[in-house]
Amino acid sequence: MKIVRRDIEPDGPGSVKMVPEEADDLWVAYNLIAAGDTVMAVTVRKVLREAASGGRDAERVKLKLEIKVETVEYDKEGSVLRIRGKNILENEHVKIGAFHTLELDLHRPFVLRKVLWDSLSLDTLHQASDIKASADLAVVLMQEGLAHILLVGKSVTTTRSRVETSIPRKHGPSIAGYDKALNKFFDNVLQAFLKHVDFNVVRCAVIASPGFTKDQFHRHLLLEAERRQLRAIIENKSRIILVHTTSGYKHSLREVLDAPNVMNIIKNTKAAEEVRALKDFFAMLSNEPARACYGPKHVEVAHEQMAIQTLLITDELFRSSDVATRQKYVNLVDSVKASGGTAHIFSSMHVSGEQLAQLTGIAAILRFPLPDLDDIEM
Amino acid sequence: MPRKVDYGFRYEDDNYDVYEDYDYDYADDYDYEEEENGIAPVTKAKQEASRTGVWRCPICTYDNENSMSACDICGVLRNPLVKVNNKGDTAAAAFKFDAPSPDDLVSNGLRSVKSKSKGEDSRGRGTNFLVESELAANGLVSSSTSVTRERHNGVEENDSTSGSGNKPETFNTRMDTESLPSKSGKARSIIERKTESISQYIPEKWMTPNNKDDGLSQLNLAIVGHVDSGKSTLSGRMLHLLGRISQKEMHKYEKEAKQQGKGSFAFAWALDESAEERERGITMTVGVAFFTSRKYHVVLLDSPGHRDFVPNMISGATQADAAILVVDASMGSFEAGIDAIGGQTREHAQLIRSFGVDQIIIVVNKMDVVEYSKERFDVIKQKLGTFLRSCGFKDSSILWIPASAMENQNLVANPSEARLSWFKGPSLLDAIDSLQLPERDYSKPLLMPICDVIKSQSQGQVTACGKLESGAIRTGSKVLVMPSGITATARSLERDSQLCNIARAGDNVTVNLQGIEGNQVTAGGVICHPDYPVQVTNRLQLKILVLDISTPIVMGSQLEFHIHHAKEAARIVKILSLLDPKTGNTTKKSPRCLLAKQNAIVEVVLQGPVCVEEYSSCRALGRVFLRSSGRTIALGIVTQVIKREE
Repeated sequence: MKIVRRDIEPDGPGSVKMVPEEADDLWVAYNLIAAGDTVMAVTVRKVLREAASGGRDAERVKLKLEIKVETVEYDKEGSVLRIRGKNILENEHVKIGAFHTLELDLHRPFVLRKVLWDSLSLDTLHQASDIKASADLAVVLMQEGLAHILLVGKSVTTTRSRVETSIPRKHGPSIAGYDKALNKFFDNVLQAFLKHVDFNVVRCAVIASPGFTKDQFHRHLLLEAERRQLRAIIENKSRIILVHTTSGYKHSLREVLDAPNVMNIIKNTKAAEEVRALKDFFAMLSNEPARACYGPKHVEVAHEQMAIQTLLITDELFRSSDVATRQKYVNLVDSVKASGGTAHIFSSMHVSGEQLAQLTGIAAILRFPLPDLDDIEM
Repeated sequence: MPRKVDYGFRYEDDNYDVYEDYDYDYADDYDYEEEENGIAPVTKAKQEASRTGVWRCPICTYDNENSMSACDICGVLRNPLVKVNNKGDTAAAAFKFDAPSPDDLVSNGLRSVKSKSKGEDSRGRGTNFLVESELAANGLVSSSTSVTRERHNGVEENDSTSGSGNKPETFNTRMDTESLPSKSGKARSIIERKTESISQYIPEKWMTPNNKDDGLSQLNLAIVGHVDSGKSTLSGRMLHLLGRISQKEMHKYEKEAKQQGKGSFAFAWALDESAEERERGITMTVGVAFFTSRKYHVVLLDSPGHRDFVPNMISGATQADAAILVVDASMGSFEAGIDAIGGQTREHAQLIRSFGVDQIIIVVNKMDVVEYSKERFDVIKQKLGTFLRSCGFKDSSILWIPASAMENQNLVANPSEARLSWFKGPSLLDAIDSLQLPERDYSKPLLMPICDVIKSQSQGQVTACGKLESGAIRTGSKVLVMPSGITATARSLERDSQLCNIARAGDNVTVNLQGIEGNQVTAGGVICHPDYPVQVTNRLQLKILVLDISTPIVMGSQLEFHIHHAKEAARIVKILSLLDPKTGNTTKKSPRCLLAKQNAIVEVVLQGPVCVEEYSSCRALGRVFLRSSGRTIALGIVTQVIKREE
């Protein structure tokens, strides 16, 4: 995300002009923009004009609109951010008060004006503009008959493709069928791989599977690359890593990120941090259950007793339309930080964020055990 | 021998736990009734009971008073089918086409449920409502088959409490509902079967085995054990010694194996047929082979021992009646196998036990490496014995056999090797003969989980392999393939590469299907009787026993769900309660998390639908394994099938 101009008073109103550069940035924008803010951007609108003959003529006109946000939608598959709201800027084509849906695209600047820039939004903004190395990992997670191609980004993990075929077992006469079906499966996965994995964007590609499927696929990949002269793969042969996981289902992505050779590459990135934090939480939950808690009520109670050492929270909770709830969580994060603890904000689009969301979305590792929490209803 | 699934932890555990209770109530009484001549068990029960003034509910075996026409506990109506002739059906059913008026519904309900005092009125009325509205919604007419008529007549004889003219119609509607799937014939919404209908199923004459058949019965034997313990070699040896593999073939394997530098794997190649397996020297999927011992037709299921292939091993072992656990006697290997973290001996033994297998033969292989030493054998026997006892195997059902597959010692004949003369027990083949066959459910409707699907392009045929869990099938019978819900015909049956006409519960067969497309049959599906479709859902309630785990199970935990041959990604949505392992009572509602060795009731949501049955109605389709991070973290049974979320 490129910040062009920034004009903010901390804990006060302000505006920021920014240009999203990759899909991740749209996600960041999604988290920043809330109902009640105003967004100004260049957009296209269908305008009706009276022609001389009396007929109406519809024309698509490019205009600069400023709208007061009512709802924000993020389309995962298409990576599009849609903002719907009322127009507040004087404009020759569009009346004030007319509804409009702004679609924010990549590489198009927009200005976001907020009434209150709280610490959280400032943090997010700061992180977005940081030209830190992004995770950008392409992962092919497979098992016999099932493959997922995932792109792990800075704050977003997207499933690019899913391939599923039924492969018969080997039984005497049908051995040939098994080999054929397996090859067809690999071909499909290879096709998806070529389509979605761009080595200019990702830093490396990981092929992960239980058993030997990954070796088989790797072999197949290289052979096909040689045969079809696929330069993209031949040149980047060294950037393909093989990792062992225990299944081909999506939740095994955690194990991929945990693997030592992958960890080295994504060491400083958000995704890796999240995985580590969640792992610590589970370790604490199994070793000393009284020092770990989850669920809004429990965490609140723990917080009142100043017991929280590490707070894990998903960004979904901040996106609630209720200002009061958002404020509550922002205060929670602030006070945890103030008391010397750490707060991890998990992106709900990452695997670990998804898991945390399943677990009510908020969890905490405590400084000292609180055994009474068990008695309180969740 | 009734199958007991025991999860006790103590050595001296004599009190079998909750799973036992399940067995006791449902299976024992039920089996007793079925084993009598093939008339409907329902009628027999009624005959007995009506004499004494109480009647026994065929489902939950509760004794109800005569005045009650529905069971107090489970709500099963007492005399479900009391229809006289076929024509009446059509007329009655047609009448129900238009949505019955609320008056009709209420009055039907009132009349069909006799007693007003207990609460089950509303239950009885409830089911009637449900049935009629379903019928009205679907609007199909049934044409009764001869079986139906038989059933009707049979039940009518002992009917002492029916009287209302409306009752037959109401019950008929249920019959209609059951036969709907066969009518629909295309992949559509799956009709849920009422649990009480199982009791009305009368097996046809050819389904129950008679002595005129070939005297040998089929025994499914799974071979499991740690990786490289010699499972495939042992199987290959046995097949060779019993004449299943010709000398010529053996020579071929030996030659090829030597060429690839894997001379010692020659026997294993009889089972490991794919190029991958041979190259790596391991078994990856379950290899099936047949041989005949003195007493049984044995189906050998050679399982992979590698950690990563445990899902395949589960799929194979689900068909097993008994198991052979192979351990490597050599120094270090046995220890590695029994190691808590990496060893597969433990995990396999636990899994085998939870499949309900209680007879196990332990083959201590590679005795030649340790010079056939008795001390080593005893050490292994003692260490492994303690572990097996803790899994729940009874000492009397474990057999210990020292052997050497490579040197052909103690496999089919008594050992010739002098150093092994201290062993006085049976050889492996004799041990196999001494195994008992578990009970087979011949008289329940057909259920066959599909292990494998082979599509032959040349003939456009679809073939499904698997073991019949209950019921029987013969050439030409109509079957329903789930989860796609398509009816097909069994064109031919094959057992051990030989055509056969009839296959019964317990047989491992290959069914050639006609009238169905290749992509509509999948491994993990179930072939069942058209009138008794198996339930398909993606939301279940399970009773689980958590094994030794490092990370606790919390709400939202993502796991892999294994049931018969199907596997899906699953998520725990609710942890309902913690149970006391000994009594089975609820100790805590909605616990925060589950730790090792706890019993609990949980609810899971699966990514895709699977065919399941509650454990109480069919064991093989109700056993569940939950795995995560390459280890089995919980074993469970299905307590409730929650309706599939659309």
